[in-house]
Amino acid sequence: MTMLVEVLTGGVRGGTSILYAAFGESVAERSGVVYLGTEGSMLAGALAGYAVASTTGHPWLGVVAGAVAGGALSLVHAYLVLSRGANQLATGLVVLFLGLGLTSLFGARYVQAIAPSFRVVDAPLLSKIPFIGDILFRQDPLVYVSYACVPALWWFISRSRWGVLLRAAGERSDVLVATGHRVKPIQYAAVVFGGMFAGIGGVHLSTAYTKSWFENMAQGRGFVAVAVVMFAARQPFKVAGGAYLFGAALALSPALQARGYGVNQFALDAVPYVVTLGVLIVLGRRRAAELPEGLSKVFDAAPSG
Amino acid sequence: MTQLDQPVVLTTATAIAATATAAEASSVEALPVERSALTDWTRSSARFAIALGGALAIFGALMLLKGVNPLVAYRDMAVSTLGDSQQLGGILVRFTPIALAALAVTIPARAGLINVGGEGQLLMGGVAAMGVSLGLDGRWPGPLTLVVMGLAAAIAGGLWAAVAAVLRLRIGIAESVTTLLLNYIALDVMYFLIYDRWKDRRGSGQPATRALGRGEHLPSLTNGSRIHLGLVVVAVVLAVVVVVLRTTSWGFRLRVVGGNTEAARRAGLHVGALIISAMFVGGALAGLGGFTQLAGAEFKLRSGFLSGYGYVAFLGSWLGRHRPIGVTMSCLVLAAIAISGDSLQLDAQLPAASVNILMALVLLGVFGFSRRRKAVL
Repeated sequence: MTMLVEVLTGGVRGGTSILYAAFGESVAERSGVVYLGTEGSMLAGALAGYAVASTTGHPWLGVVAGAVAGGALSLVHAYLVLSRGANQLATGLVVLFLGLGLTSLFGARYVQAIAPSFRVVDAPLLSKIPFIGDILFRQDPLVYVSYACVPALWWFISRSRWGVLLRAAGERSDVLVATGHRVKPIQYAAVVFGGMFAGIGGVHLSTAYTKSWFENMAQGRGFVAVAVVMFAARQPFKVAGGAYLFGAALALSPALQARGYGVNQFALDAVPYVVTLGVLIVLGRRRAAELPEGLSKVFDAAPSG
Repeated sequence: MTQLDQPVVLTTATAIAATATAAEASSVEALPVERSALTDWTRSSARFAIALGGALAIFGALMLLKGVNPLVAYRDMAVSTLGDSQQLGGILVRFTPIALAALAVTIPARAGLINVGGEGQLLMGGVAAMGVSLGLDGRWPGPLTLVVMGLAAAIAGGLWAAVAAVLRLRIGIAESVTTLLLNYIALDVMYFLIYDRWKDRRGSGQPATRALGRGEHLPSLTNGSRIHLGLVVVAVVLAVVVVVLRTTSWGFRLRVVGGNTEAARRAGLHVGALIISAMFVGGALAGLGGFTQLAGAEFKLRSGFLSGYGYVAFLGSWLGRHRPIGVTMSCLVLAAIAISGDSLQLDAQLPAASVNILMALVLLGVFGFSRRRKAVL
């Protein structure tokens, strides 16, 4: 396997957990709510998925459990922000702490546990395509599901009636009110959807990517998902690109080390974050203009130049 | 005390749904009403006590689920955290970097900036201070080295934060996101140094730098306790911050920028310079926190150095509503809760990180169930 194929394959593999989380965050942000607790929902999903897969023997049940756990945590955020008027960024971070604590309390016994994991399945025919087949179609089932999610989410946001309501909630909530809709139920649904997808991202992390559970295993992937959503302007295809870019940067380090390049591991570990920041810088100005109205209240408490 | 908070911005939906009492509360918010500091203080203490009680009850139920008697666990936590002067000292040691990093959130918050980068700014401060110690290698007298270390730490933390301010001004990316990403980059910078460039080859086991020389330790405040001069640094910084924010034109201008940028710009204020300076000063304080932790408590960089302190500090600033004295007191409480996690591990055999639940519940209680809605920074 050439190094390029290896890095790109790893990029899809490692980027998928971020992709799910970023999908969820896109929907939440479209409704005008930022969910920094994505990181916490990923942790909750990773543990719930791993624990359920380990006790029942079915990784797909783990996916369901992960979505439920991630969604439950985001409900706390939704309630505080939407019904109690708490600040979104601070609450999101508190929810992260809650997720961190809960998963460490209930996760201790699963550190040593063995769970059935999602294995790589070669897609029939498609995996035979040279280069592309190696990268895209020799992956685990959750990756294939995420491929289907990209166009589905695009259709949902841009073409469906639900998507119009969602975007209206984030852009012009007064118009929704004027046309007889209620804003809060839409925002609640969007935030919980965000948490559920972050949870599924966590399940991919624990049952397909690392095949283990350990404390604080998301290691900032939830925050990266928020950053990816920002530079991808909440558009599913661009979100996918951003997530894979981060994944590829993650895959660079093991690929170089396997080939015996004497590059420092920690210098390489910083690459994904530097790349994310770099893309934000390159695309930043254009993207800032595309921020939904409702979100600018959160991010633009401070002025820009 | 004058009401410093920004008027609450209610969405249309909330405004429609708002009850008479809420409307009354928000109109109180909108007007700069003089309120005595005493009622303000009683009210926030009462809110805090209720939040703490609720949090203890929920966390107790969770411990019960894990087969731990919550009453026994709370007694052990209280005894081992507040029981003797040694332990109280531990809280103050933990409090020192958290308070400095929290003030690093407070100052930019005055200008409407959200600095979630305390974690990275603390680390860069520690890295810079360690770099000075390694570079001078004991050639200069201890006290002088300490001063240079502190200055280097403040500058490093300040610059690390200023990056986010510049990105906000030049490109318009939210500083809340960039500071978060910079945290992870700072962490990798430190790991790179302790696993590679600065690794102590003679040390065994965990990768770490060599220890600071004896002369480069911040002196203890009392005999036999671990409380160090960093606590005095916190007190001095707090006093200066209070005075600067209240009495100087810089402090006033920050508030104008945070309140209404357009008005500030039309009044001829240099908004860009104010934003960069607010972030720089904030980051510098966090950098100082990294220095005091290094020179006062840890004496070397190792993996896990100040891990998680920056986020606790961020929440401490929100808990204290970005008012320096309240922020500092909030940090003291959060430090005590964080310390009590050690007892959970030793006495109740629960993971130390479980205490994050308790901390989060307290914060959720205060953020979500204050009667006056504090929706917007």
